[in-house]
Formats: sequence, structure tokens, C-alpha cells
Amino acid sequence: MRNTLPVIIAFLAGIAMVISFFFNPERTVLGTFQENLLQWVTIVGGFTLVLGVFSIVRVNARAVSRRSDGWFYKLATVISVFAMAIPSIMPTSANSAFGKVFYSIFPISWAGAFGTGPDSIYDWLFNYVDSPMMETMFATLAFYIASAAYRAFRARSAEATLLLITACLVMLWRVPIGEALLRGIDVRIPDYINMFVMNGFNLSVQRGIIIGAALGMASMSLRILLGIERTYMGKG
Amino acid sequence: MGFWDKVSNIDRRWIYLMVAVATFFPMIVVMQFPVELTPEAVQLYEAIDNLPDSSVVMLTFDYYPSAMAETRPMSIAALRHMFSKDMKVVTVSNIPLGGPTIAEDVTRSIAKEYGKEYGVDYVNLGYRANYVAVMHGLATSIESIFKADFTGTPLKDLPLMQDVKNYNDIEFIFVVADNATIDYWISIVNAQYNIPVGGGVTAVVAPKMYAFVEAKQLTGLLGGMKGAAEYERLVKISGSATRGMASQSLVHFLIIFFVIIGNVAYFVTRKHEKGQK
Repeated sequence: MRNTLPVIIAFLAGIAMVISFFFNPERTVLGTFQENLLQWVTIVGGFTLVLGVFSIVRVNARAVSRRSDGWFYKLATVISVFAMAIPSIMPTSANSAFGKVFYSIFPISWAGAFGTGPDSIYDWLFNYVDSPMMETMFATLAFYIASAAYRAFRARSAEATLLLITACLVMLWRVPIGEALLRGIDVRIPDYINMFVMNGFNLSVQRGIIIGAALGMASMSLRILLGIERTYMGKG
Repeated sequence: MGFWDKVSNIDRRWIYLMVAVATFFPMIVVMQFPVELTPEAVQLYEAIDNLPDSSVVMLTFDYYPSAMAETRPMSIAALRHMFSKDMKVVTVSNIPLGGPTIAEDVTRSIAKEYGKEYGVDYVNLGYRANYVAVMHGLATSIESIFKADFTGTPLKDLPLMQDVKNYNDIEFIFVVADNATIDYWISIVNAQYNIPVGGGVTAVVAPKMYAFVEAKQLTGLLGGMKGAAEYERLVKISGSATRGMASQSLVHFLIIFFVIIGNVAYFVTRKHEKGQK
């Protein structure tokens, strides 16, 4: 039963979604069912976020309590989770039941600091801590790409040479000085790159990948509907 | 060890230093280069520009803070274009971390410049989990997915949302994304509900989007910081993307220089090694 019931639920939910695709949600029972099902999906999605928070706290808190390698960083992770989460879920007014109780204890002037709106603690932490850190991590990629380009981007074969020349041309085309330089050689070169490289070779290859991925997704969906694919239950 | 051997084995910190200098130099010595327009950027601009004034448009903030250098200028330029035409803007995000907060900060600051009022001229719906379900759900009823906006105000209390019930009330969706959500805006919202979708994406995502532009499933495309700079030029502003073009130009040239030098060193040292054998 533990194996059969999830497969039956997956089959019925999947089939219902496929069939209801052809019906008007405002006029048919199946359409209404589809609308309800989509609401359930967003609610379940919300719970998965909560599960994720619970998991990250549990794993890292355990490592901190055991003083395992890098425990200090794990402590920083746990503190960060709570520092972002707690102020954002605190009441921003005394209108709700929780808000009434909270602001009978604490001054109402604190309300502006809570929630996720402008000038809240969450907003401040996001703008001045989280966002700069993520941007910094991403920006360091430029240094690694430059180093990799120097060491690994070699014209070892005809294919690699073709890739290298195309990459250099597109890199030139994507910046104003490069584009001006290419126009200086021949005024049609930038248009040719857009036409033949981006809208030619690139487009045809991308289209092949997209169609291939779509066929893969369709076959995977069928496998799930028919109960052949059961990895979502933690089984092979 | 010969000269080219030394060049081949250069300490990577010298490369990092040169990249840093190429990035920062144009920020100190202000340099600006004319940005040429691509047909895809013009197509997107014209799609928005040809909409009647006061149309309702949806602007998505489907990007993480890490990609803000490329995507934030697109959102700003798009908002300036929309507000200058008195359009009503509904913002939404399919990214839990960053998107809704960036939408809130960017939209409020630009709206202030144009004297727009929250709830009347623009609304930030925020984020709901599972974007495939959200995109389908918005087709029947926005309120069924978003009971309240990003700050918790019920949609029924926002005047703009009394006229915007689902996709039928939205003229155009401008997707700014750094990930696969744009694929679903195209395959679900454009293909199934026939709503025109335009895209502003990071340079990494852009090549894939050309297939959708050609198929007319995507109405125009902005790719990376260059795309953002093109849109800034079209809406006649000089924003961070236009300024960033100088740094990006120098770094691109530097990388091409590295590729050439690296290959010359590779072939010279290889020839030398073969000669020794």
C-alpha cells in the first residue's frame, strides 16, 4: 500500500491535469478542479520551503553542538537563518491577534522594523549583507574565467579552433568597442554575426536541445504517470 | 626556462590583477562608448512603446541578487519606459530570495520619480512557491494565488487589482530573468494563454532565447548588460549598464588577449618540445 497509494495519487492528479487542460476553468468541474489543484501545489511548495529551513537548521545545529570541522561557519548559517526569518514574520501592525499581544508588550514604534517592507530589518539585511555577498561571489567568476581562458582555451583541434574563433568574435560583438572595431573592418560584420552565428548556428543547435529536452520531459512525465519512475518516493 | 615557458606558467595572480585593473580603470577614468542596437532589443522596445498609454503590463523580477549587475538595469529602464507612458505595472517574482525585495526597492524608487501611487499605478505581488503552478493559476484568477501583495495588503484593498483579475487584463509581460523561469513564461503563458511575452535575460541565458524570438514566442530580447545598455539607449537614459559597458569592453578585450597569448605560448613551447625530442 505504501508503494501503490502514491502511484495512484500521482496517476490521478496527472491525468486530471492533462484532461482539464482542454476545458475552460470557469465553466467546467474539471477546470475548477485544475484551479484547486494548482492552489494546492503552491501551498505544498510553501511547506517545502519550511521543510528546507527546518532541515538546514537541524543539520547545521547538530554540527555546531558536536563542534565538528567548520562549526563556526555552520553557526553563522544558523544565526543568519534566524536573523532574516524572525524580523520578517513579526507583526507590522497591531491589527492581527498576534500583533495586539505583541504590541501590548513592546512599543508600536518597533513595527516599522518588522515585515519585509522598505526600511525593515529584513530589507536592510538583504540590501547591505545578503545582496553584496551574492554579487561578490558571482563577480569572482570573471577572474576564474580570465584565468581559464588563458590556460585551457587552446586551439588543439579543428573543432576547438572553430569554437575559439567564434567565441572571440561574439565577445567582440557584444561590447561597443569590439563592435566598432568589427564595423571598421567591414560595416556588415556585426550584422553577419547576429544573423549567422546567433540566429543561425546558435539558434539551430539551441532548438535541437530544446526539442530534445521537451521530448525527455514528456517521456519522464509518462513514466511518472504510469508508475515506472518512482524516484520521487525515494526509490529507484 | 625560455620566455614562452614563463609566459605559459605565469602566476594566475597577475591575471587576476589585470582583470581587476581592466574592471576598475573605466570606473575611475570615466569612459563611455556608443551602444549599437540589435534588432531584438528594438523589437522589445517597440512592443512596449506601441501599447496604448495606461495599459496594464506585468514585469517579472525572476532573478537573484548575484545577477543584478545585468538584470537590475533592465528592470529600471523598463519601469521608466512604462511609467513614462502612464502604464499600470504589476510586478511578480518566481524567485524566493531577492526577487520580491528587489522589485519592491526598484519599483518604489522609480515610481516616486514619476509621481506614481502604490496600489493605483503599480502593485508588487511578491513571491509564491512553484512557478509552474503560479503561472497556470494566474490565468484563471490572480487572487486565487496571491491573496495579498508583498507587504501583506489584501488584493481587494488595492484599486489597481480590482481591474486586473487574470492574464486577460494584462497587455504584455516583460520577463526579466537569470534562470529557466523564462522558458515557462514562454511555454505556458505565451503558448497556452496567448499573452505576448518579452524577455530580458543574463548573457548566459540569452543564446537559448534566440530560438523563441525567431518562433515569435518571445517578443524581443535583451541579452546581458549589453542588452540592458541598449534598452537604456532606447529609453534615452544613461544608467549603470551604459556605464558598465566600458569595463565590460576592456575585460572582453583582455580575455581575447589572454586567449591569443595563451595559444601562442602553447604552440611555441610545443614546437620547442618536439624539436628537443
